[in-house]
Amino acid sequence: MSYRKAFIVSNALMLAAFVWAFAKDFNAPWRPYQKKYYQMSADVLEKKAADEKDPKKADVLKAEARKMRHSPMEIKQIISSDLGRFDRCVTCHVGMDEYTNPTLKNDFTQNPYKSHPKVDSALVKAHPFTKFGCTSCHSGQGLATTVEGAHGWIKHWEKPMLKGVTIQGACVKCHGNFETLKGAEVAASGKKLFRQHGCQGCHAINGWGGVISVDLGDIADKPFERIAGYNFKRVKIDGKELPDEHHDSHWNIQNWIRGHLVNDPVAVTPNDPFAHLNAEPIPPSGMPDFTQEIRREEADAVVAYLSGMTKEEVIPYRYHVPAPAAREPQLSGAAHGKYVFEKYGCQGCHGLEAKRGRRRFNASSSAQKEYDPKMPEKEQFEQMSLGAEPTLPDLMGTYTHEELVKKIESGVSAADAKKWSPKGPMPMVYMPSWKGKISKGELDDLATWLLSIAKKDDSGF
Amino acid sequence: MPTLDLEKIKKEIFDSQLWRSVFRGGVWKDTPRDRAGHIIGNVWLHLHPVKVRPRALKWAYTWGMGGISFALYLLLTLTGVALMFYYRPTIGLAYRDIKDLEFAVTLGMFLRNAHRWAAQAMVVAVIAHMVRVFLTGAYKKPREFNWGIGVLLLTLTLFLSFTGYLLPWDQLAIWAVTVGTNMAGATPVLGNEGPLGSLVGMRINNDVRFTLLGGTMVGENTLLRFYVMHCVAVPLVVGILLILHFWRIRKDSFSAAPYAAAEEKVDVWPHLVKREYIGAAGTTLFIMIWSILQNAPLEAIANPNVTTNPSKAPWYFVGLQELLVYFDPWIAGVLLPGLIIVGLIAIPYIDTNPKGIGSYAWKERPFANTLFLLGVVMWFALIFIGYALRGPNYAWYWPWESWYMLKAAPPATWSVFGPKGVGAYPMLLGIPLIGGLFGGSILLPKLIQRELSGKKLMGGFLAAVAALAAVGMAMGKMGATEGAFLLFFLGASFYFGFVLPQRHIRTLDWPRYLVTMVLVVCTMGILLKMCARLTFNIKYLLTIPAISMNV
Repeated sequence: MSYRKAFIVSNALMLAAFVWAFAKDFNAPWRPYQKKYYQMSADVLEKKAADEKDPKKADVLKAEARKMRHSPMEIKQIISSDLGRFDRCVTCHVGMDEYTNPTLKNDFTQNPYKSHPKVDSALVKAHPFTKFGCTSCHSGQGLATTVEGAHGWIKHWEKPMLKGVTIQGACVKCHGNFETLKGAEVAASGKKLFRQHGCQGCHAINGWGGVISVDLGDIADKPFERIAGYNFKRVKIDGKELPDEHHDSHWNIQNWIRGHLVNDPVAVTPNDPFAHLNAEPIPPSGMPDFTQEIRREEADAVVAYLSGMTKEEVIPYRYHVPAPAAREPQLSGAAHGKYVFEKYGCQGCHGLEAKRGRRRFNASSSAQKEYDPKMPEKEQFEQMSLGAEPTLPDLMGTYTHEELVKKIESGVSAADAKKWSPKGPMPMVYMPSWKGKISKGELDDLATWLLSIAKKDDSGF
Repeated sequence: MPTLDLEKIKKEIFDSQLWRSVFRGGVWKDTPRDRAGHIIGNVWLHLHPVKVRPRALKWAYTWGMGGISFALYLLLTLTGVALMFYYRPTIGLAYRDIKDLEFAVTLGMFLRNAHRWAAQAMVVAVIAHMVRVFLTGAYKKPREFNWGIGVLLLTLTLFLSFTGYLLPWDQLAIWAVTVGTNMAGATPVLGNEGPLGSLVGMRINNDVRFTLLGGTMVGENTLLRFYVMHCVAVPLVVGILLILHFWRIRKDSFSAAPYAAAEEKVDVWPHLVKREYIGAAGTTLFIMIWSILQNAPLEAIANPNVTTNPSKAPWYFVGLQELLVYFDPWIAGVLLPGLIIVGLIAIPYIDTNPKGIGSYAWKERPFANTLFLLGVVMWFALIFIGYALRGPNYAWYWPWESWYMLKAAPPATWSVFGPKGVGAYPMLLGIPLIGGLFGGSILLPKLIQRELSGKKLMGGFLAAVAALAAVGMAMGKMGATEGAFLLFFLGASFYFGFVLPQRHIRTLDWPRYLVTMVLVVCTMGILLKMCARLTFNIKYLLTIPAISMNV
């Protein structure tokens, strides 16, 4: 090819490439949605105009239809400066844009054209879109203008849109009183379940609760890099592995929490109990197996509740609604003791109503076989899993009231644990010191209740 | 009816006062005078000479890489200035501005992609340019100084790319820059973690790394510093050096080859200019299409509290990062890159071979070409290993292995000489022994004045190593993989570090010989240290903790 030809061809190709780039940019994914919305709305207006008897009104409607049909294509956004949001969701969801659709209502049934449901409800009225934006409640990537990007279904956006009832977590972010709110019932039941099963015994929330495991006050912000190094491979929901990698964003914090409730956490975080990968053995997750106690819907409720546990977002103080002052029930004696047991989450380790101690990996217990180093690892693992927290009624019989109070106050340090396999990991779960956390009166009643359910030793000793 | 006389209109336009005031030189008649006038009368084209040697025009000779590098530099300036209109270098806004470019700015994504990909392409083009110039011996007298400027330009190209890496303010950016700048903290004397650093009072808040970051960790100040360096300071220096570079090329009359008898120069306009245009147009087209088809990466917003695993430097520095496995940061991150730069600049002054100028002379320059290409291959091999074969915890993962399968931590290493060495041989024995070995390797090839047979030498050496490995394996001290490593690394360093120099440069004068051999032995040192680690799991050959000196 001569240079003259190459000159012409290369220039033509550069121009073509630029046109291609521009066309690609011009035909942004949001454009067809917005265009179709304008057309559909114009069609509706024209139909109304045709049905209108009054010619003057019909003309107004026709003019409106014409204006709608020829509306300029634009990126629309809600700027919520208080909450630091720039939500471009209304670029496609035009029906939810107050400037294009002042009534915020339409008859379309399909997304993204349909209007926001329940716009007349107190819930929506209290949270005008122009002030709160979209992602304050729904999460997702407000800045994005592509389908995957905006819904947060991409690898590096860690707060994808909240699905289904999980969105009730958004209420929890600001409303300390969410348990009393209409529309936050699932999150409220999640909190109730959280307390009922004693999660707070190990997991504090905003500093209130046990110290055995992490504070869940900011669990919704947990970086995925900290989730076993971005690995959701072991999380099974309804017995199925999650879709690979990050498609539709199933690898999200909700499924991570859910995975701990609908699976045995040991399967989710097996770690390295036989020191195959590390110099020292690392015990698997210390969290008990709740699969027998918590159903799938209940797990979803807990997930909804914990989805509101965020510290990352800067929510101005005036947006917060405080919780009502906690009311203690008017109980006394053993009945109050049982309430105290549940209030501090003792059942998290000692079982519901203290009936059976839960798993304490590699702790020595009477149910285990004799330790034998030649035992295959699989069997060793099973034996280690049989290690358990004390089943309190079996144990309490030998304690006096004072001894029991002292024991709860001092706790049992992790180093005092008797290991089943001396080579295995140190049991993760231990009895923390409750001194100063459970008040003196509460402690007395707790001890009273525990002694009342203790199995009496009738053998004469 | 009046007819439309095009010739007359054309003449009137070209002869008008307005046209003449802008374009000088009268009607174009394609005479040599016209062509010369085109170059002389234009301030931009005037960096060219009027005439050029025809061999400088051959694509097969130049690969067009110098011109393409400059075309990419212009492209980067253009796209970079456009991007500056949208980008604010603060940690609250930077990431959001990138998202805006991606989602809301017209052609924003295209611009960002073009800038990103052109930057990567420029690194490759500049390295290719350097390889070409080396292979054609075009750095030799009188072009030594210009080669040195070229080496500086390569370094600055890498630095420009590196400073730009931080600006999107995502996880990829801050951790890559953290890896890169942590090496600066290991600079001898000037870094707080480098040897002798603490002796002269270097702390984390006053050393060279602190100067670079504007703090003790990558943060707001770092972003501003990198932004100013990336957009203003470094491009200015590059611009000045480029003008020098081009001016020298012009003064040294493009091609380095000796003049042939009947060689006649040709006009730069159009012969060189049209080639430059096609090269630049092809490059632009390539970058445009690449930018349309592939988006630049953008990860989650930077979070100094969450380290990505693995964290990797930008790809062109991953080779040095890979060396961190075998060496302390001051060696891998400061000493070796410094030696590479100084060594490259020194090449024209130590290469006295008068042959092989202006052509790909493989047979006439066996030593220079082999050693240079070995360096280039090692640079890219290490990049490949670091980039493609390192997974979580920087463990070795083959391409077919899943990163979700965790690997065992590497076994504990040991050191040969020093207080903490497992062998615990005293330091006083190690310093003279390793120093002697180093000095001996440098001197030995020149001390043997007779030319030795390469085949016999290599055969004998490999047989000895094989026997050694066999004994080791028989004693159960090493496996087959370790044996293969031993054979490969020892064989390679023996060949490139002893056999080749012994044959080719033992007749060099002492000063040049010594400089050359220091560079060669240091390169072999890298191979030998890799061998020591991979075969015997040795961390340091010599460690002196008192001054943080570990080798």
